[in-house]
Amino acid sequence: MHLLRSTLRELPSYLWSGWGAICSLLLLMAAWQLVSELYGSLVLAQPLEAFASFKHLWNNQTLPEALIITGRRALSGLLLALGLGTGLGLLAGVSVTAAMMSRPLVTVLLGMPPIAWLVLAMLWFGASDGTPIFTVFVATFPMVFIGALQGARTVDNQLNEMAQTLQLPKRMMLFDVYLPHVFSYLFPAWVAALGMSWKIVVMAELLANQDGVGASLAVARSHLDSAASMAWIVAIVLLLLGIEYLFLEPIKRQVERWRVTEA
Amino acid sequence: MLNHPVCLCAFRPFFLLSLVSGLISLFLWLGFLQGWWVLPATTSGIIVWHAHELLFGFVMASLAGFILTAMPEFTRTPDVRRQIFLGLAVLWVLGRITFWASGWLGIVPTAITNVGFSLGLWLYLQPRLLVNPLRRQWLFSMGLAGMAGISIGFYSDLLRDLYPMRWLHAGIGMMMALIVITASRIAMRIVNESIEALPINKDENDQDLPDEYRSTPPRRNLAVFCILLYTATHFIWPQASVNGWLALAAAASVFNVLNDWHVGRALFSRWPLQFYAVYWFMAVGYIVLGLQHLGMPIPASSGWHLLSIGGMSLSVFSVLCISGRTHSGHQLDERNWVNLVTCLIIIAAISRALAGWLDLPLNLLYLISGSTWLAAFSITLYYLAPVFLKPRPDGGKGCEEPL
Repeated sequence: MHLLRSTLRELPSYLWSGWGAICSLLLLMAAWQLVSELYGSLVLAQPLEAFASFKHLWNNQTLPEALIITGRRALSGLLLALGLGTGLGLLAGVSVTAAMMSRPLVTVLLGMPPIAWLVLAMLWFGASDGTPIFTVFVATFPMVFIGALQGARTVDNQLNEMAQTLQLPKRMMLFDVYLPHVFSYLFPAWVAALGMSWKIVVMAELLANQDGVGASLAVARSHLDSAASMAWIVAIVLLLLGIEYLFLEPIKRQVERWRVTEA
Repeated sequence: MLNHPVCLCAFRPFFLLSLVSGLISLFLWLGFLQGWWVLPATTSGIIVWHAHELLFGFVMASLAGFILTAMPEFTRTPDVRRQIFLGLAVLWVLGRITFWASGWLGIVPTAITNVGFSLGLWLYLQPRLLVNPLRRQWLFSMGLAGMAGISIGFYSDLLRDLYPMRWLHAGIGMMMALIVITASRIAMRIVNESIEALPINKDENDQDLPDEYRSTPPRRNLAVFCILLYTATHFIWPQASVNGWLALAAAASVFNVLNDWHVGRALFSRWPLQFYAVYWFMAVGYIVLGLQHLGMPIPASSGWHLLSIGGMSLSVFSVLCISGRTHSGHQLDERNWVNLVTCLIIIAAISRALAGWLDLPLNLLYLISGSTWLAAFSITLYYLAPVFLKPRPDGGKGCEEPL
C-alpha cells in the first residue's frame, strides 16, 4: 500500500521526466524524415505516411487484433519461461552440484541463436501458436534461469547465519532476507526477458504464422508497402516503450530505492 | 554627464533605451496595422523593420545591459568602464536612427552601426568571458558571437538585395538559446530564495521534493542544442518537413528543462513563476511551429510571436525587474504592478498567437495584443525609469547589489 501511494505521488514528476526521452525520439523522427526524403517513400515511408497507415490499421481493427494475438503468444512463452526459469534456477542455486551441472547447459542454451530454435519449432509445431510460444520460451528461459541461480547462489552467508542465530521466524527469513536479495537479481532478468520475448515473437510470426504482428509485417513487405511496414514497426516500438517506461521503469525505481535504503 | 546616476552601471542606459525604443517601435507598428499612419520608408520592408527593431533594438539593448552588468560578476573581472558602455549605447542609438532612416541614408550606415554594435559587444566581452579557466562562459560567448554573425548576415543579404527575414528568425532562435542559458543563472538565485523563504517544517507530501534548485547542465545543453539545431535547419531549408520534428524536439527539450523547476510550493512565487511561464511560452511556440511545418493549417507567425512576446518580452521584463533593481541597490519589487504587467504580457502573447486562427477577428486581436504590450511596458517604464535615473538609495557607486 505504501509502495502504491509513493508511486502515485511520484507519478506526475515521473511522467514529466519523460520529456527528455520524447525529445530524443523526436530527434529520431527528424532523422527518419531526412532519410525518407533522401531515398524516397518506396524505400522508407515518411513518418506522417506511416502514422496515417497506423491510424488506418487501427481504425479497421487489424492492428489491435494482431497485437492481441502477438501479445498472447509472447506472454504465454514468457510466463512459461518465468515460471520454469525462476523455479529451476532457484533450485539449482540452492545446490552447488546442481549449479555446477547446469551452467554448461545454460551456456549452450544462451549461445544458441533464436533463429535456430525457430527452425526446429517450425518442424515440430508447424504454423500453429506452438512455434512462437516455444521459441519465446526457449530463448528467454536461460536468462531467467541464470538470474535466479545467481540470486540464490549469492545470498550473504553472514546475514543468513545472523538471521539463524537470532532465530528469525521462517516467514521473516523468506520475506526479509532471501526474497529481497534474490529479487534484485531476478527482476533485471525478467525485464530483459520481457524485452527479448517481444522481439522474438515478432520474428517467429514473420517466418511461421499467418496472423499476428510479425505475419502482418511480412504481408506489408511482400506488398512493398513501406508505410504499412513502418506502421507495424511503430506499433511494436510504441508497445515496447509503453511497457518499458510506464510499467517497468517505475517498478525498477522503487526496487532500486529499496535497495539503496536496505544498503 | 558621466557623473549622472544613469551612468553608474551599464544596465541603466541600456535598460532605459530598451524600454523607450520598444514602446516607440510597437506604437508605430500598431498604428500602422490599424491604418492610422504609414511607417518611415526603410530599405527592408515593413515586416522586417518591425522584427528587426524589436529584436536588435528592444531585446538586444536589454541583453547588452544585462550581459555588460552580469559578466564582470560571473567572471570575477572589474566592472565595465563608463566610457565603454556609453560608447556602445551611442552606437546602439545610431543603429536605430540609421535603420529608421535607411530609406534615405541607404544600407551602409545602418549596416556599419548595427553590425558594429553587435560585433563590438562580443569582441569587448570575449577576453573576459574566457579569461578565467574555472569560470569560462562558452555559451554566452557563442551566443553573442551568434548574434553578431546574424547581424552581419542580415546586412549582407540587404546589401545583395535579398529578403533578410531568415536572419531574423535565426536571431529569435539564438535569443531563445540565450534565454535558456541566462534564465538558469538567474533562477539559481530567485528559485532558491523562494525555497528559503518557505517555512522550514515540510509536510509529508514535500519530503520527496528537492531542498534547492539546481540547473542541470545536461538538460540545459540539450535544450540549447535542439533549439539551435531547429534554428539552423529552418535557416537552411525553411520549408522542409524535418523542421517540424526538430521544432517539436526543441519544445520537448524545453519542457525537459522544467524538471529542474518542479521544486514544490516555492515555484508558486512571482519571480520563479515568471520564468516558468517563459519556458512554457517557448515550448508552446515551438509546438505551434512544429505542427505548422508538419502540415497543420496554423499560421507560423503564431509560433514566432509566442516565442518573441511570451518568451522574449516576458524574460526581458523579468531581467529588467530583477537585475535592474538589485544592481541599483533596491530589493526586489513586491508591489502588485509586477503581476499586472506579467498578466498583460501573457495576454499580449496569447492574443497575438490567436490572430490568424480560424475566423477570429484579426485586427481586433492585433489591437488587443499591441495595446496590452504597450500598457505593460509603459507601466514598467513608469516604475523602473526612476530606479535607473536616480542615485542608489544605499549610497553605492556602481553595479553592486544592495549594500
